Amino acid sequence: MSHVSGAETRARPDETRRRWQMIDFSSPRHRAKFGYLLLAPAVILMALIIIFPIVLSVDISLQDVRMARVGGEREPWTLENYRWLLTSPEFRNAVWVTARMVLMVGGTCLVIGLLTAMLVNQRFKGRSLARLFIALPWAVPEVVATVIWAWMLDSSFGVVNYALLRSGLVAEPVQFASNATAAFFAVCFVMIWKGYPLVSIMLLAGLQSIPEEQYQAAKVDGASPWQEFWFITLPGLMPVIGVTMVMTTLWVFRDFAIIFVLTKGGPVGATTNLSILTWEQSFSFFRMGQGAAVGVVTMIICAIISRSLVGRFARSVH
Amino acid sequence: MKRSLSATIGIYAAVIVTCGLLLFPIYWMFITALSPRTALREFPPRFWPDEPQWGVFHELLANQPFGLWMWNTVLVAVATMILSLSVSVLAAYALSRHNLRGGQGLGLFILTSKMLPATLLVIPLFAIFRSTGLVGSLWSVILAQSTLIVPFCTWMLKGYFDTIPPELEHAALVDGCSPLGTIFLIVLPVAAPGLAATALYSFVLSWSDFLFARTFLTTSEAKWTLNMGIATLKGEYITDWNVIMAGALMAAAPIIVVYLVLERFLVGGLASGAEK
Repeated sequence: MSHVSGAETRARPDETRRRWQMIDFSSPRHRAKFGYLLLAPAVILMALIIIFPIVLSVDISLQDVRMARVGGEREPWTLENYRWLLTSPEFRNAVWVTARMVLMVGGTCLVIGLLTAMLVNQRFKGRSLARLFIALPWAVPEVVATVIWAWMLDSSFGVVNYALLRSGLVAEPVQFASNATAAFFAVCFVMIWKGYPLVSIMLLAGLQSIPEEQYQAAKVDGASPWQEFWFITLPGLMPVIGVTMVMTTLWVFRDFAIIFVLTKGGPVGATTNLSILTWEQSFSFFRMGQGAAVGVVTMIICAIISRSLVGRFARSVH
Repeated sequence: MKRSLSATIGIYAAVIVTCGLLLFPIYWMFITALSPRTALREFPPRFWPDEPQWGVFHELLANQPFGLWMWNTVLVAVATMILSLSVSVLAAYALSRHNLRGGQGLGLFILTSKMLPATLLVIPLFAIFRSTGLVGSLWSVILAQSTLIVPFCTWMLKGYFDTIPPELEHAALVDGCSPLGTIFLIVLPVAAPGLAATALYSFVLSWSDFLFARTFLTTSEAKWTLNMGIATLKGEYITDWNVIMAGALMAAAPIIVVYLVLERFLVGGLASGAEK
């Protein structure tokens, strides 16, 4: 120890500083810090790209802005956009269109989803293959699905019109692009085709969670298949049906690609749902203040609808 | 429970008819792509072309910047997959192993990505990206997509991590491995299937995006993605449906392949109630 060199003596303060700076993350005391550090990138990303912009969008909705800007001069706050919203026919039309879409798409997805789920729930060889194919539309990109249906619904040469004419259901080809009612149905067809697989998968999981004993007990009591369905299957599925219907509703509220590519919201607003209206006001007419107002109202409605899902997700995370 | 022959035949018939009806559009896309242009204007339409026109794919690649669109889409999807997965793995690990107060927050975050109309989000994002010069750059799309994908990926990965016993990491820590090292050397290899499923799920979501690309990339045609290109084709070339369908087929094929391979893993995660 007596021949410790001057260099080593000088090194000791550096060493202690370094040791201080190296927090040992494996020690229990610092574990929580490590955890928050890992969480940081996700939190930063969400804060920058979602939270801050949402706050900004509310800010935009309260200003008379045509083209939103960050920084620079800000317009004074005004409720003008919301006043416009409550009195404008476009907004009321969008709400009405959205509501009808939710009912039609949700209802049909439920029926198709339930029938396919019950079918695939039967035990037969090739059952997993059937499940694979029945849910295939989920994998097709929305734009691709829309373009295929656009062709199928072509007013002159589309196969759907061919089938309709051939079966005698219509006297002349349906103009899916220019007829308001037909266009609405066209959009619904595409949405239903893209939407039913997820409903089907979730209902299948729900069906498989209904205890077999209930069915066996019913058989002993001599119940008919219809009674089994009504008194066992349906009640057992109610929670899952609730969740899928809420999710489908939120999806119809939010969807953009299908409607935009198929009809762009036309003809004359016949297929303009709230999501399309938000985008149209902001990026077609460049009235971003009004667009943001529509978006904020849509978000509030969606938040209310999704409240029922909060409990489910919070529980499953813990 | 034995089933009568007629019931079995009934079930198989129902399955075949149902699949046939529900998957008809996919079949029709395939048929139309391979039909000669003249056959498209036939009424009644042909359900099988006399001679499959395999040259339509070459025609598509020659007349449209389809290769460019495909390249951009792949670029964005891979970048999104890497970014969202990196962020999600760390967050999911933290939520799985450390009982942080973020647990409840995660549920709320997932909900946000579901109840948030993306069409509202793009308004401020457009302003932000404009001021940072990202409009017209693929990074705007990558960032936007990743952020909406991260909550769900985190939830999926947390589920997988929860099934891995922490004893493995404890043993590694005792042996002198750093906490970060345990994540990469111990947990990730074990969670590889879950990781792969989550990665490819984010790939699929990115591939399907249209809104972000359409909003942020409209002015830079060199950066267009597949979905933007196909949507434009539909607008312009309304009579060349065989070419459009060929494009649709090439755009859908990779994702359908991914789906067929991963369906087992994806369905498990989806059935526990989540993403559309």
